[in-house]
Amino acid sequence: MSKQVTFTLDGEQVTAEAGLTIWEVANGRGLKIPHLCHKPQPGYRPDGNCRACMVEIEGERTLAASCIREPAEGMVVTTNNARATSARKMVMELLVADQPAQDVAHDKSSHLWDMAELNGVSESRFPKLEEGHIPLLDDSHVAMNVNLDACISCGLCVRACREVQVNDVIGMAGRGHNAYPTFDIVLLCGLRRMRAGLPDRRADARHRGGRRAGRGSCRF
Amino acid sequence: MAPLDNTSGVWKSGRGKGRKTPKGRQLDDQAHSDILALLGDRPRNRDLLIEFLHLVQDKFGHISASHIRALAEELRTGQAEIYEVASFYAHFDVVREGEAPPPALTIRVCDSLSCEMAGAEQLKKALEEGMDPAQVRVLRAPCMGRCDTAPVLEIGHNHIDHATVEKVEAAIAADDTHAHLPAYETYQDYAANGGYAVLKDLRANGDWEAVQEKVLSAGLRGLGGAGFPSGKKWGFVRMNEGPRYLAVNGDEGEPGTFKDRYYLERTPHVFLEGMLIAAWAVEAEKAFIYMRDEYPAVLEILRREIAALEEAGIVEPGYIDLRRGAGAYICGEESAMIESIEGKRGEPRHRPPFVAQVGIFGRPTLVHNVETLYWITKINREGPECLNAVEKNGRKGLRSYSVSGRVKNPGVHLLPAGSTILDVIEAAGGMVDGHAFKAYQPGGPSSGLLPAHMDDIPLDFDTLQPHGSFIGSAAVVVLSDQDSARDAALNMLRFFEDESCGQCTPCRVGCEKAVKLMQAEKWDQSLLEELSSAMVDASICGLGQAAPNPIRLTMKHFPEEV
Repeated sequence: MSKQVTFTLDGEQVTAEAGLTIWEVANGRGLKIPHLCHKPQPGYRPDGNCRACMVEIEGERTLAASCIREPAEGMVVTTNNARATSARKMVMELLVADQPAQDVAHDKSSHLWDMAELNGVSESRFPKLEEGHIPLLDDSHVAMNVNLDACISCGLCVRACREVQVNDVIGMAGRGHNAYPTFDIVLLCGLRRMRAGLPDRRADARHRGGRRAGRGSCRF
Repeated sequence: MAPLDNTSGVWKSGRGKGRKTPKGRQLDDQAHSDILALLGDRPRNRDLLIEFLHLVQDKFGHISASHIRALAEELRTGQAEIYEVASFYAHFDVVREGEAPPPALTIRVCDSLSCEMAGAEQLKKALEEGMDPAQVRVLRAPCMGRCDTAPVLEIGHNHIDHATVEKVEAAIAADDTHAHLPAYETYQDYAANGGYAVLKDLRANGDWEAVQEKVLSAGLRGLGGAGFPSGKKWGFVRMNEGPRYLAVNGDEGEPGTFKDRYYLERTPHVFLEGMLIAAWAVEAEKAFIYMRDEYPAVLEILRREIAALEEAGIVEPGYIDLRRGAGAYICGEESAMIESIEGKRGEPRHRPPFVAQVGIFGRPTLVHNVETLYWITKINREGPECLNAVEKNGRKGLRSYSVSGRVKNPGVHLLPAGSTILDVIEAAGGMVDGHAFKAYQPGGPSSGLLPAHMDDIPLDFDTLQPHGSFIGSAAVVVLSDQDSARDAALNMLRFFEDESCGQCTPCRVGCEKAVKLMQAEKWDQSLLEELSSAMVDASICGLGQAAPNPIRLTMKHFPEEV
């Protein structure tokens, strides 16, 4: 029998296997905490950077990212109070500000829009980035086609490439609001079917009249 | 042409004709030999990446794609990994194929608050108009830690105080582009005055717990800004099994702060001895000094004096590992600094775990600010009374205020920790003639802006928190009736926007949106307040959590301006 921890989640006593994160425990109980940079799939390390899954832990000064935080014995976690929900909502609103509107989005049914809906966010009150700030389309290689205007700089593609596929050809370049993923030597690998929160590149490839580049597994 | 070039491809990929080379950017022989020559027999350790990038940048004035490829070859790492690190730091210029390298000479004009108030914007404009862009490029840059001589700029690595276009032209004509070393106390001078006697005595028969108790009784707290009791840190680090490391945070980037530079350019060995006492106390395997690249003179002083310590047998060669920052304020955040020491992008880590448990290379790490270590030596040489005997307004101890702005005598002023802003202004010679005191930044932009009428608060740890501010690194900037609080707040948020690492959404996007909202004729105060609370609650590190302070305090105390 593995070790168990008991903590309070939204007022309920919960006993869970030690080592699971708050997000995982909540998810296992049917409570969907919004998440963007965290992909609940084997091999994907949660990184806690997008701050879409913030929850309140009693006694802590700031909110905590539930995707990377493991509950401790006796911890009191609240996901549904005003402080946590408004922080999560604000994160979505900040991100949506610079996305193409959903009806003209590259991928209208992307995970990002699902999460926006889960937060009750459909538009943003914030001013947009300057025109020309985002490198609109990175198609610097025949096998690559990325709509960076749909990118939320969450680094999921970097983790997928570096830690899941172990190709290490994607990096996060730049700093601050100039931080965008950058691609080195693009390999024809399974990664290309991974969507990493980015729009469906297969559709784009079809649109360009090309083959469905990226089918098949990594050749390296 | 090599024989293989004419044959059909050797890199078969199953179908087709194959290819003549492996995929991707090819290793360029010239670039590879450049890198081999620069790296010499240095170990090809991944954590030295930033040091290696400096070698390339210093030699060639930029970092080309072919050099990145060659570095990747030497370090056995991916090019993407090198590119992401190089592009994170402001002092590296990455040049891809087909792009023009920057001109040979770079002028960086400081645009942080004190320099902006002293006319940095006009200076930068005049330089841009007067210089040939093919020969010289003029860039804006964040605080260079010389706010007492604003406006300031850097030509190559030569800092020009009270800068003017004429001074710049003269420096260029004289090819004066290297750092000038000030006169300082060398190892010989320091040792002749009894320096390192305490360290030697402690090493021979000292009790670290007794020393820690002495530091605690002196009341010393972390002077980088966080104010954690220094006398408790050693025990926390020692609780974790070795090997342990010590890291000195010399990334003094909080605009308005220059106290660490002040001490290092005068008495570097007081700091170095304190560092070695702390290293002894936690039995550190190695002591890293992370020094910001904006302080080239300090870097040179430390290089020389570390060599002197090695020669004198006080430390083993290589025990002190001096690392050079590369232009990133965020690396003053201790976990970001550790990432940078490991040769990575300076992105803060999540807590828990704390760096005392999991620090450099995953090992327990003691992190101290430069000035804190200066006082460790003082406490051990002069007794805890050197701090705890001073009392003012109910506060004990001394504080090095970095004072700049509209005062007659800006500079580092060592005053009782209970000093109010009026005491600080008085020590700094009073207000400049014709200027009336209007507002002040008590401890860097992270502490926001307070109005002149809040003049009876001791500027110390814990006393400013009830007012939505904090003392931080005690970087006091004094504003007058001729300055706009609104412009000052915007200057601060622009700084955070530029310096945010970009890792978490609230800070990366929040700072950028805040700047846009603050540029509007009339601030959308309710949206800014909503944004501020999300940034405070949901940002990963102190940068994003403190960035809203200038917004909130300006809305509260200067509503007529926004």
